[in-house]
Amino acid sequence: MIRILLMLIVFGLFSCSAKTELKPEYLRHTGDIPADSSVDDSDFELCGEEDAVLQYFNFGDSDKYEGERIAICDYFQEHYQPVSIDESGWIRVRFIVNCHWQTGRFRMIESDENYNERPFDKAISNQILELTKSLKGWIGYENEERGLDYYQYLVFKIENGSITEVLP
Amino acid sequence: MHIRSLIFVVFISFLGKAAHAQYNCEWFKAQGNMVRYQACLEANKSNEFYQFSKEFHEVYDRVMEMDPTWALPYRAKSVSYLKSGDFINWKKLIDQAVAYDTVTYLGYRAGCRFQFFRDYKGAIEDCLLLKKVMNNDMGYTANGQYHLDIVLALSYKALGDPNKAIETILERHQEANYMMGIFDMLHLGVLYAEQGDLQKAKACFEKQEAFNDLAENRYYLAMVYKELGQKENYIEQLEKAKSLYTIGLKMNDPYQAPMDKIYLKQIEIALAEHF
Repeated sequence: MIRILLMLIVFGLFSCSAKTELKPEYLRHTGDIPADSSVDDSDFELCGEEDAVLQYFNFGDSDKYEGERIAICDYFQEHYQPVSIDESGWIRVRFIVNCHWQTGRFRMIESDENYNERPFDKAISNQILELTKSLKGWIGYENEERGLDYYQYLVFKIENGSITEVLP
Repeated sequence: MHIRSLIFVVFISFLGKAAHAQYNCEWFKAQGNMVRYQACLEANKSNEFYQFSKEFHEVYDRVMEMDPTWALPYRAKSVSYLKSGDFINWKKLIDQAVAYDTVTYLGYRAGCRFQFFRDYKGAIEDCLLLKKVMNNDMGYTANGQYHLDIVLALSYKALGDPNKAIETILERHQEANYMMGIFDMLHLGVLYAEQGDLQKAKACFEKQEAFNDLAENRYYLAMVYKELGQKENYIEQLEKAKSLYTIGLKMNDPYQAPMDKIYLKQIEIALAEHF
């Protein structure tokens, strides 16, 4: 009887975890970033509604950054201090650009070179996050009625503590 | 920056309603695969939703529950993660698609690894496996810009093997009925130029000019003229590069900057330089 009960409990637990994995809770859109007053700059505000934030590629090939992508690459080349450590992979910093050319709601994900989630040494990740927050020049957009907001991200390819690519 | 609202209305409407064409579910029915037929009918409901949306993903979650070994829903769900830079969730999903339908999705994964994450090692692994499976003909990337042999070649170049890159491109170009990629000759020209083979580089840039004239081939041709000591040609090509760039005739991709792309700043610096 005890054995049967244990089996039922184990099976029940397994079923619950499997169910949770199959039915994730989605936000409005993939990659949406809800405001979090515990980490976000309180001065940053959207120009439009929360449910109207666009994606960077919704603007076609128009420039998203003053001086184009090469200016972003130059910025990180100039300011990032390589860290001597055997860590490689990718870091993505995602954020919102509002119509006033301001950025906010920065969030980071990190993986090794096999795309497995794992944190980098803080000397790398904190540096990249702070440099991304300090990066000015993202172009704000507006249409005839109102200001627009959009999600932008930067992906950093890291090889042994150095940035080898800044994408997109 | 002011963008006319009409553009947004048209564009968002397009995104919202035209995620993909309807799948031909009758084919599965004709095969007697009723599980996939039902899953396919469910998948067609995603057509109403934007691929980033909660509703789109919920449709494909149901499809995955109905037919867990059908690769298509994993690929469909992976796209919004790819376009939002979420390499972790993208890779988990696309790996499942590849596991369930290697022939269809391995080349797609290779192209994405190259284009979105500059994962040259991963792209090479995928391409080499696909070449074996497909008897050396891998086909093109999803956006049609490259034959996957060009992706393979550029990945070799990025990992420091330009000779293998040139060899791979030339081998593909020799194939009968090869459909030339829109940047092929540009990339080949840059490879030759970097190897110091200026005459071959020049010939490639001139072929690129005839096929698909861009600011980039003019810029790199200017660099060849610089090496050859031909100042007038150098300046003429740079001015042409600037002119093409200004009217939008440049390497472009809405998601990622292509390899060998140049920027206005580079043209202007070259023009300002003493020859």
